[in-house]
Amino acid sequence: MPDRPRHIPIGQEGDVAVAIMRARQQSQEAGFDVSTSCRIATAVSELARNIIKYAGQGEIILRRVTAPGTSGIEIRAQDQGPGISDLERAMEDRYSTGRSLGLGLPGVRRLMDEFDIKTEAGAGTRVTIRKWL
Amino acid sequence: MESAIDRTNMSSGLTADELMALYRVDEDDLQRIREHGRIIEPRLGELIEEFYAWLRRQPEYTRFFSDPDKEAAVRKLQQDFWRLFFEAKVDDDYIRGRRSVGEAHARIGLSLQSYFAAVNHFLMMINDTYYDGSQSGDEHGATVNSVTKMVHLDTSLAVESFSVAMNRQLTEQSRAMMEMSTPVTALWNEILMLPVVGIIDSRRAQDVMTAMLSRIAETRSTVIILDISGVAVVDTAVANHLIKITKATSLMGCECIISGVSPAIAQTMVELGIDVGNVKTTATLQDALTQAFRQTGIVLSGQ
Ligand SMILES: Nc1ncnc2c1ncn2[C@@H]1O[C@H](COP(=O)(O)OP(=O)(O)OP(=O)(O)O)[C@@H](O)[C@H]1O
Ligand SMILES: [Mg+2]
Repeated sequence: MPDRPRHIPIGQEGDVAVAIMRARQQSQEAGFDVSTSCRIATAVSELARNIIKYAGQGEIILRRVTAPGTSGIEIRAQDQGPGISDLERAMEDRYSTGRSLGLGLPGVRRLMDEFDIKTEAGAGTRVTIRKWL
Repeated sequence: MESAIDRTNMSSGLTADELMALYRVDEDDLQRIREHGRIIEPRLGELIEEFYAWLRRQPEYTRFFSDPDKEAAVRKLQQDFWRLFFEAKVDDDYIRGRRSVGEAHARIGLSLQSYFAAVNHFLMMINDTYYDGSQSGDEHGATVNSVTKMVHLDTSLAVESFSVAMNRQLTEQSRAMMEMSTPVTALWNEILMLPVVGIIDSRRAQDVMTAMLSRIAETRSTVIILDISGVAVVDTAVANHLIKITKATSLMGCECIISGVSPAIAQTMVELGIDVGNVKTTATLQDALTQAFRQTGIVLSGQ
């Protein structure tokens, strides 16, 4: 897999499909098993859908990362939407302002090894997640 | 926060002023273009003639200009365009016009390669072949620069709306494919089955639900199997849809069994924290069918 990050613009539901497929493919190429690739692709799906639902548009960036003795995959989901006003609650299970299950963000955290979220009211949201082999 | 790609902003349309700033076209440029127009315009008919001679030699030509009336009409439009170009009035009307040109080209399926080649050919004719040599070297250099900037601005508009139109076509195509792919099949008396493949979005989930409910009403089936073994991921949104679908079918007196839940999907759903409640799920289609038979009282002999 090339080390260059792959940018996937997210603006409509069809883009979510592209992001899911790319994430799954890249995970498998990076050496993850089917089950872990499924987790990674699902995490990407959650973040991409949040972008569409709450920010309208943004992008997903996939890239290969390395650390001493291991390697993995990093996904960044960023948008310039309204941001998350109550981040603490957004990270709790079953909190949703969109009348959904409210399991997306906390679920993504459970699916991945590393999870980082930065958000600012009016400026946008950036979620960075990693999974190691 | 920086973002490398801001597609909507690009396609939602910059205003005339914003575009001029982006391409660094100012009043002096426009003035030079108008002056250049006075040199070119008397020979515009000739120039277009030569352009079509070139065009006829291009491989794509016969595909688009099979009948002579069409060529005449397009030729007229082109002549109008160059008059407008040399008027050098970049306002929102002008921009709207250029965008619709891009769309028209996408509609007929012209390749971008051909479009760029044609623009390039025009640029060469205007800056060089049809220039009468009346300006000083510096003056002419500045004019070529102005004309080129303006042609780039213009091309960007056409190409941009071209790609928006292409994207729209692609979306429509995939939508059409999706719509064709909700085949609810009667497997047995009172037992229906629907395989879903690929990615489920909210629109697709709605299609699936509608297709299922109307077939249930038609056939009075009591069990419907929704096989998701071909679904790429089950995230919270998809799970939410699946739960809603099973609720709706049971309101109609039909139990929904979700089959084809792979080990990978099962583990992912558990980690996401999805509680499917009393939705019936099975690993394989065969398991679902066995359950369905039992429920409808069908006994297979020889088992
Ligand atoms: N990119 C974003 N921009 C703005 N707000 C967001 C964004 N992502 C999430 N949120 C906010 O955080 C809340 C929790 O997000 P989460 O993904 O956990 O749940 P959900 O999207 O509401 O439901 P689910 O993902 O289970 O379908 C959302 O309801 C929304 O208010
Ligand atoms: Mg969500």
